[in-house]
Amino acid sequence: MSAWRLFRSSAALEAAHLLGSRGFVALTALAAVSFLAMVSLFGLTGSYAPVALIDRDGGPLARRFVEALDGAHHSFALKYMSAEAAEAALGSGRLVGIITIPAGFSDAVARGTTVAVDVRIDNVNVDLTNDVQRALPAAIVGFARQHRFPGTSVEMVEHDVWPHDTGYIPYLAVSALALDAMVIAGILGAMATAREWERATVKLLRLSPASPAIVLAGKLCVAATVAAGALALALLVIEVGYGVVPIARWATVFALLACVAIFTSVGAWLGALLKRTLAAVPLLFGLAMPFYVDSGALEPTRFDGDAIWALAHLSPVYYAVGVLEWAFHGLHVTPEPVWVDLLVLVVIAVVAVILTLGRLARGATR
Amino acid sequence: MIGAAWGMARNDLAVWLRSPAAIAAALLPALGLGVLVAVLTQSVGQQPVALVVQGQGPLAARMARIIRGDADAYLLEEMPAADAERAIGTQQVAAIIVVPEDFDVAAARAEAAVDLYLNNVDIDLADDLRRSVTRSVAEFDAPQLGLLGELHGPSSGVLLPNPYRVAVAEHDLRDTNVSFLQYQVIPIVVLIVISVGVLGTALLTARDFEHGRAKMLLLSPAGGWALVVGRLLGGTLITIGLVAPLVALGFLTHHIPYCAEESGAPLWLTQLLSGPCGWMLPPVSWTHALALVALLGAVTLATVGFGTVLGVALRDTRLVTMTALNASAYLFFLGGGFTTVAFLPHWLQVASRFVPTSYAIEGLRQALFYPDLAGFGHDLLVLTGCAGLSIVLASTLLARAWRRA
Repeated sequence: MSAWRLFRSSAALEAAHLLGSRGFVALTALAAVSFLAMVSLFGLTGSYAPVALIDRDGGPLARRFVEALDGAHHSFALKYMSAEAAEAALGSGRLVGIITIPAGFSDAVARGTTVAVDVRIDNVNVDLTNDVQRALPAAIVGFARQHRFPGTSVEMVEHDVWPHDTGYIPYLAVSALALDAMVIAGILGAMATAREWERATVKLLRLSPASPAIVLAGKLCVAATVAAGALALALLVIEVGYGVVPIARWATVFALLACVAIFTSVGAWLGALLKRTLAAVPLLFGLAMPFYVDSGALEPTRFDGDAIWALAHLSPVYYAVGVLEWAFHGLHVTPEPVWVDLLVLVVIAVVAVILTLGRLARGATR
Repeated sequence: MIGAAWGMARNDLAVWLRSPAAIAAALLPALGLGVLVAVLTQSVGQQPVALVVQGQGPLAARMARIIRGDADAYLLEEMPAADAERAIGTQQVAAIIVVPEDFDVAAARAEAAVDLYLNNVDIDLADDLRRSVTRSVAEFDAPQLGLLGELHGPSSGVLLPNPYRVAVAEHDLRDTNVSFLQYQVIPIVVLIVISVGVLGTALLTARDFEHGRAKMLLLSPAGGWALVVGRLLGGTLITIGLVAPLVALGFLTHHIPYCAEESGAPLWLTQLLSGPCGWMLPPVSWTHALALVALLGAVTLATVGFGTVLGVALRDTRLVTMTALNASAYLFFLGGGFTTVAFLPHWLQVASRFVPTSYAIEGLRQALFYPDLAGFGHDLLVLTGCAGLSIVLASTLLARAWRRA
């Protein structure tokens, strides 16, 4: 049989298997969008702490102060409510704090007197507490600067590395694509090889004169194509739903396809190693989150210290996020150049394919 | 009937214990999220920052002292300008704070500047640093705008005039802060209950159909309802068997010496142990402990019922695994795991009210972190209702499915 015919037959068989597992494939695609949604939910908690505002003054300067609170680096989602409702909400964990502007605020500030704004914080979570504690002086400084109050001798001058900030959700959503590629392509790749053991067809494969490399290539091509389809769905959600458009479209597509090919190969190796889909799926799900978070998905991993950064190099998602953030937002989130990230991914894929072939052909070589 | 039900439950337990893949399927994703929280803890709050002090005068020294003093905000490293440039280029630091050479002269003219060179790669990180540096700079002219001033200034009746004309009187709701890790790790208890409860029972039920064992069960002399009760009891025992030791461990980690703050352990060891040490549940009074047990019991029953329904509906172990993992993830995140529901858009907050896990996570946090049990009764009532509903539905569907097998 010619290599091409063998490849086609293997691909057709894999496609037939996947068609027979439509539910499983659909759920895998759903997982892609799910990860995106979950990561976005997490991103929403990064800013805009819900805080009740009670304005007992109501004067013009109090209103300007409220504007300054609103403009304090995406810190507060101000909610206007009565003192009683605010207390109840604070006590039940639905608010981070209550800011009360006292009566006479505007008059006192206009006279140049310092006024204390009362702030009650539910300090149950130290991260949220820190955010509020740091944001209040930022709002106060913004308020004073807006009215050019005299007497300040120093101010902060900011110089940014990047021409504009990237929103947290657009940043997270792109890195979620790398996670999607790992989970979906990994699961489909694992299923393609684990099935050989689950159905005991691995013996036939080993006894057959056909080249296992070509059989594997046919199977993985179909798995990768289906994974790419699911990933395209996630990409569509990011572009249409989130309005995040890559700055380098073709680089993005190429990077995603590379990720799919690489993670399909890694999944195939896992499937051949564990010999059961049921074992490979949870392992990939379980690895997904630690790999994801230690990959520069939330911020460049280098900022988390040497130990975590060194560990991140064990995660293929680290390199994938490096490539995708560059393709999507033009950001460099790994100290290594993008081409190095891509090269490492290719090496991982080649090693995974070699290891998979080794597992598939082990009987033949004995 | 009791004997038959107990026999079925014991058999399910034995089957489950001989299925490492199923146990891994239930535990790995939840433990993966646990590792995520532990790593996340390292990356929130403090950012690595280079401090370059070029000014030699007393005012520049004071400014530098203020920045150095804010250890909660920065992981600060002082270095020359050239090194700092290299460090920001290689992402060793997220920002450079420069106190310039002419700081003292400019400050005397009220024109001094502190330069912040910021790697604004994403808005979350950038805003954290902007807030922190702004506070440090404001503290120069208004010492009460620093953290100590916020906590112990106007709130203690000491209000000093400042050129910004506004000060903060902060009143904290509670005596102790709960760490980010401790706060976020709590929902993982709920996730583990969901994963084990749903996946455990769903896999057992689906396997019965896949392997044709449902017919054999039907032919056994035990009554159908005894077997149904046995299946639900087995699922409950599996969940309790896996969750109870984990919860107990959460209370025992207090006694691991390296988990204590200021333990003196090297950084790599602290980071390595941050996962296990993060699994630290705060000590609770007996009323809160009882509430905790009741809440976990209700969640267990609800998830066991849901898992049985899933198993009956899908009857395929691979489909069950994927569906359960997806469902657990949605239930977890929409219920407030890793998110604070109050931060979400209004429509999601409304949607979250229909997700039973939101009551579980809210109730769990109330029982573990708050001195009273305000709102806990409502949470427990909703969860008990869900548990009752899912058990009744599961029993009916399972009995009918076995009859028709």
